[in-house]
Amino acid sequence: MTGAVEPRRRPRFRLEPYVEFARTAMAREATYRFDVFTTIGSFVVRVYLLRMVWTALYAHNAAPHELSRRAIITYSAVALLMGIVMDIDQTRALKDKLHDGSIATDFLKPIIVPFYFFADGTGEVLFHAVLLIPATLIALLIFHIIVPGPGVLAAFALSFLLGYLVGFFLNFILNCSAFWTLEISAVQLIVTWLTDLFGGELIPLILFPAFLQNFIYALPFAAMFSTPLLIYVGVIPPSRYFEVMGLQLVWIVGLAIVSTLMWRAGSRRIVVQGG
Amino acid sequence: MAIIEAADLRKVFRRIVRRPGIGGAVRALFSREYEDKIAVDGVNFTLAEGELVGYLGPNGAGKSTTIKILTGILVPTSGSVRVAGIVPYQRRQENAENIGVVFGQRSQLYWDLPLRESFELLRAIYDVPRNRYLENLAHFSAILDLERFLDTPVRQLSLGERMRGDFAAAMLHDPKIVYLDEPTIGLDVVAKEAIREFITRVNRERGTTVILTTHDLADVERLTPRVILIDEGRVIFDGALQRLRTEYGTHRTLVVTFAEAPTNIDVPGTEIESREGLVVRLRFDRRKLSAEAIIRRVMERYPISDVSIIEPDIDTIVRRIYVEGYQHGAVGAPS
Repeated sequence: MTGAVEPRRRPRFRLEPYVEFARTAMAREATYRFDVFTTIGSFVVRVYLLRMVWTALYAHNAAPHELSRRAIITYSAVALLMGIVMDIDQTRALKDKLHDGSIATDFLKPIIVPFYFFADGTGEVLFHAVLLIPATLIALLIFHIIVPGPGVLAAFALSFLLGYLVGFFLNFILNCSAFWTLEISAVQLIVTWLTDLFGGELIPLILFPAFLQNFIYALPFAAMFSTPLLIYVGVIPPSRYFEVMGLQLVWIVGLAIVSTLMWRAGSRRIVVQGG
Repeated sequence: MAIIEAADLRKVFRRIVRRPGIGGAVRALFSREYEDKIAVDGVNFTLAEGELVGYLGPNGAGKSTTIKILTGILVPTSGSVRVAGIVPYQRRQENAENIGVVFGQRSQLYWDLPLRESFELLRAIYDVPRNRYLENLAHFSAILDLERFLDTPVRQLSLGERMRGDFAAAMLHDPKIVYLDEPTIGLDVVAKEAIREFITRVNRERGTTVILTTHDLADVERLTPRVILIDEGRVIFDGALQRLRTEYGTHRTLVVTFAEAPTNIDVPGTEIESREGLVVRLRFDRRKLSAEAIIRRVMERYPISDVSIIEPDIDTIVRRIYVEGYQHGAVGAPS
């Protein structure tokens, strides 16, 4: 390349565009009103079914000693509540835009492109988070879930937030792979299965055999669901909060580093190869 | 003052060669072969502030690649480029604040939201002061007649309406330069005219520099006094449209309707372009022969019932250059 390299002066960072991206994403989600009913409806049905399963298992004395029948139903209901926001692939726009080439228009704007995807995804998730209000009311009034003390609730909220970030970066990494390969749905499906199984969304991980548990904790999925849920039902005592949330943080940092590297390599591919 | 400078711009893409069949796919897993495709091959041009330039060339000539380099989303293989004093690919974000882009085939508007929401978002992205934003919006609404569908979701707009929205969107932040990539593609006559009017006014009233790529030569005739022709990654012509016309529009066509079918047509100094029944089109070089002389020659040899002369249009000229290639001083000129 000829010509002297200029100093890279970064333009002044303004938060406003990203707040607007999030707001716009919420407005966009609001146009799909039907989603509201299906989300709430499927939540009720799934909690109901899981309650039947756990009740039947407990009636046959197959109960794990750490969790009472009510605690495990609470666990399942809260897991499904979390799923309302956690199961959203908030950065799938990246994959879609790489497929149809419209990612180029995002690079034409004076924005930090990955921040745009973060803001857009967060807006989408925040809109769905509103659904947590009626869903939580249903969980309280119909399924009588346990409500722990404010200290535990606060720890749960923080751990939930950390779990959300783990999920965000995991999704972002998967969507980034669309820079290199057009077909990523198979990989995504496998990751969804792994999350369902090893994340603790469906079955508390403490019910797994010991040898599997070591393996499970070497994967990031437990940091998404299991950690906040076990805090909520009290299996993880306050004395271990620092340790378990520290581990979540380690996952976030690690996945954020991988995300950054993948984004850099991927976007370089676009600016050099033209996508 | 030059606002865009491109010197010896080259872009070579490296593509994986895919061999056909399963055997080829398996082989590709182990050893990959690459081939280089030269998209832009030493392009030079300079644009002064406030110019309106047509950037033309056949498909695959390197037009879009050049535009992508100028917008900063593609790094050139070699050569230098400056847009408003900035090397675009080194400072993409800063460059982005200076430019507006319209792609005829790709909307930048938010599909699910009313047009107005997309504008609001762009205001936030480019940090346009509220007053200026409202002023621009009112101004563009008036020229492009946006008022009727400002609150309609973009997905429900017709192509013409959407394009008008895209134009306003690209101009809301008062960019110094706008790149228009086939902006009139697929539009009806009315919409085309509205867009052309908008481009003219933006260029004249705001001094915005405009680069327009198009396949519709009516756009060029209407809008751009200067054209840059590119073919196989090289600039083959850069100059006034008028010069292109005089250098290349050397051949006129005489349309002769014969009174009776002639057995063989032979008029010195002409060649037969086409023949349909009694109507024959004869091409001749206007620098060698006057129309009057040709008509006389035809009338001396054959009984005819009608003649007319067709002047070369820009379409014919450009097609001829694409097919024959450009040589300075025009093809067929006495050397």
